[in-house]
Parts: sequence; structure tokens; C-alpha cells
Amino acid sequence: MKVSLKITGSLLDMVRRDLARPHFLAHERVGFLTAGAAAVPDALMLLVRAYMPVADEDYEVDPKVGARIGSNAMRKAAQAAYRPASTLLHVHTHGGRGLPGFSGVDLESGNEFVPGFFQSCPKMPHGLMVLSDNGATGLLWLEPGKSSMSIDRFIRVDQPIVEQWSAKYELA
Amino acid sequence: MSWLDSQSFLGANSEQRLAEMTVGLVGLGGGNSHVAQQLAHAGVGHFVLADADHISLTNLNRLIGGTWWYVLKRTAKVAIMKRMILAINPKALVEIHCKQWQLAGDALKRCEVIVGGLDNVRGKDELDAFCRRFLIPYIDQGMDVHKLGAGHGHLVAGQVVLSEPGSPCLRCMGIVTDAALAEESRKYGAAGGRPQVVWSNGVLASLAVGLVVQMVTPWTRRARPGAYLSYDGNSALVKEAERFRRWTAASCSHYPHIAVGDPSFDIRKLVVGDVNTAHAPLRWMEWIIRFIRK
Repeated sequence: MKVSLKITGSLLDMVRRDLARPHFLAHERVGFLTAGAAAVPDALMLLVRAYMPVADEDYEVDPKVGARIGSNAMRKAAQAAYRPASTLLHVHTHGGRGLPGFSGVDLESGNEFVPGFFQSCPKMPHGLMVLSDNGATGLLWLEPGKSSMSIDRFIRVDQPIVEQWSAKYELA
Repeated sequence: MSWLDSQSFLGANSEQRLAEMTVGLVGLGGGNSHVAQQLAHAGVGHFVLADADHISLTNLNRLIGGTWWYVLKRTAKVAIMKRMILAINPKALVEIHCKQWQLAGDALKRCEVIVGGLDNVRGKDELDAFCRRFLIPYIDQGMDVHKLGAGHGHLVAGQVVLSEPGSPCLRCMGIVTDAALAEESRKYGAAGGRPQVVWSNGVLASLAVGLVVQMVTPWTRRARPGAYLSYDGNSALVKEAERFRRWTAASCSHYPHIAVGDPSFDIRKLVVGDVNTAHAPLRWMEWIIRFIRK
């Protein structure tokens, strides 16, 4: 099954602007995207609804990682995905250009907290997303405790519509 | 050298982008028959065509690609368009659905852009709602012939509207109104059931194709999301509609972002379905079994 993600250009720009803001104790910012979903033959489509930045006070001190967020941030995200039932995508940026990749810490922490998203919204898939300045990479879990699958295709609905399929084009 | 080389002014990768994109054409009447032909010439590589109608004699005055032979054979309009597209671009992948577009929802969800050629307001409203739900830019074409006062003849007027995320929708722009929905049955109004409107359809279709190309290639950018181009067929003028120019609301109130996606979606059902199909016999095995049984 192929997974594609659609996001409007204005929302993606807003996400990038928010993640680029410095934080007084964390090295980087993180946030959450909520998305609707739709099944198409042999594929799954994620349609991004909104962006929820993590509040300044919800970051915790941890010199070993770029950003650590507390349970309060997770609770707020789960609340946002509860009604209407939404996919939750944890998002942060690595900056730079080209196709970004997840770090070991990203994958390890994702494996820990993404299954928790299914507690509040079991009918939707949940995952992780990392951005660069012109690209994106994502992982999606269809069930808690199972292995994740990659998001194959990112579509920026804008003027012009931009598709990043196997990093062929920039998502920008 | 490719047959599309002269389109290089459209920007980097534009030929490839057009070849990779999927355009949905809903309603293959007079308007969208022009659109199908032009998009095939432009190099669009994937089409999803939906229309339940078959060609009849009354369509021959405006359906591009329509011939007496097709009329005699009562050929489906989607089949006529498929042949026309493939005659221009044999590499194009054309998926046809000879049924109401609502029954081809799964195929239409995959489209990057949908161009509507529906002649009823309710259908336009439903298609706009469908596109908003799946973040698909929707281009609507509408044309009407009005009888003017005694001795003044008829007015040919129409519009092309681009409704996309972040822009006003057909309801915001006054294309879909309660009054128009109530007046649904009038269709082509004063001109009767088979108006000769092939040239005005062509104008509107060309505007729609221009919007499609603009949305896919980096050729040029519009100043703001959406478009509402108003056409006066009698004076042969196209201009941006006053209503669109004055629209200043921050967002469309009819289709909030929170409503995108399928509200009945449940990943658990999808995963179960996937597991069941994973154990289904292979298609070639099914074919052999059927052959042996025969």
C-alpha cells in the first residue's frame, strides 16, 4: 500500500516558519500536524488539517536531544486528534536542502510515543515527519506495535502544485 | 526532440509534470470535450473521465470528437473522449467511468485537479464539496443563454471558476445559491435543449485549460488563490468577476480545513481488508482455474 500526504502550501510555510523560531532552552522546535485520511485503491491518502505548535513551556531540559517535550504537550496533541478523529504526525525540521532522514533518536523516540497516539484515536494511523528546507520524509504506523511504513509521496497543494515523489522534485 | 519541446517556456520539468499529473474530467459534454482535447495536446499523461451519457444527435453541434458514426452506435461520451485523447497522445493513460461521477469517487480522489463540465447547480455544489474534502483544486465551467427583451436577441454568458483550498468556494462566489438550486430544472434557459454554443464552450474550456497548466507548471503565478473569470459572449470579453475581486474574507466558511478527509475512515477496517486480500489467490491462478472449469 502506498501512502501519500497532501498539505496546502500556506500551511506548510506556516509550519516551517514556526519550527524555525528559536527556543530559550531547546535546540529545535517540534509540533504536530493533524490530518484526515481517505482510502483509495491500493493506497492511503493523508490530508493535513492543521498544525499545532508545542507551547514554549511544554519543552523539557535534556542536553542529549535537540528537543524533549513533556507529557503536557502529548496530552494536548492527543486532545486535538480526538474529535474529529485525526491522524497525528509529530513534525520537526533538520533544515538544509534535499531529502531529510530520521536520526536514531527520532526513530527510537517515535517507536516509544507513536503507539500512545492510538490510545486516544485508534481509528486513524499516526506517525512522524521530518522536514528539510525543501523536502520531507515521513513514517506512518497503521497499527500500534507493528512496524512503520514510509510516506511515499508528498503533495504541496499550491500554485503550482508540487509533488515530491522519490525526491524527484522539491517540496519547497 | 519531443513533440512537446516548444512548451519549454512553461518552466523546468513542466513536460514531465504534465505527463505525471492526473486530471479528472467530470461531465464530458460540450465544454469538457474541448478540455480533454486541449489537455491531450498539452501533454497531460493521466486522465480519469466520468460521465454516464451516450452521444445523441443533439450533441453533434457541440461535442468535440463527436461524429455521425458515434451517434449511430450510441457510443458512450467517455469512450469517444478516450479515443480522441489516445489519438493525440498514445502514451496517455485514460481511465473511463461510464456512470455518475459519484460512483467513481475512488478514481477521482487520486486526481491532482478536477475540471467540471456539469450543467446542473446541485452537481457543481456536490463536486466542489468532494474536491474540498480531498484537497483537490476544482475548476468549474458554466455557460448560459439568456433571452433578452423583445428585439434584443439572446445573451451568451458564462464563467470559469477555480475553487481551491484557501480560495472562495462556489457558494462564496455566488455560483451555487439556494435560488439557483431551486431553479435547477431550467438548464440552458431560453435557448432550448440543443443550443449552438460550440465557440463559447471553446472559450471557457481554453480558460480552464490555462488554469490547469498554470497550476502544474511554474509558468506564471496568480496574485491570489482561486479565480473567477467572467465571459460575455456577445461582446467577446473575459474579465475577472467583481465578486471575486471584492472577496476579502480570510477563508471560506463553507468548507473549513478541519473537515478534510473521509469522516467514515477507519484504519482498522483497511488493515483487515489488506490482510484478507494478501491471502487471496493470485490473478493468474484465478485465470487458470476459470479456464480449466470452462
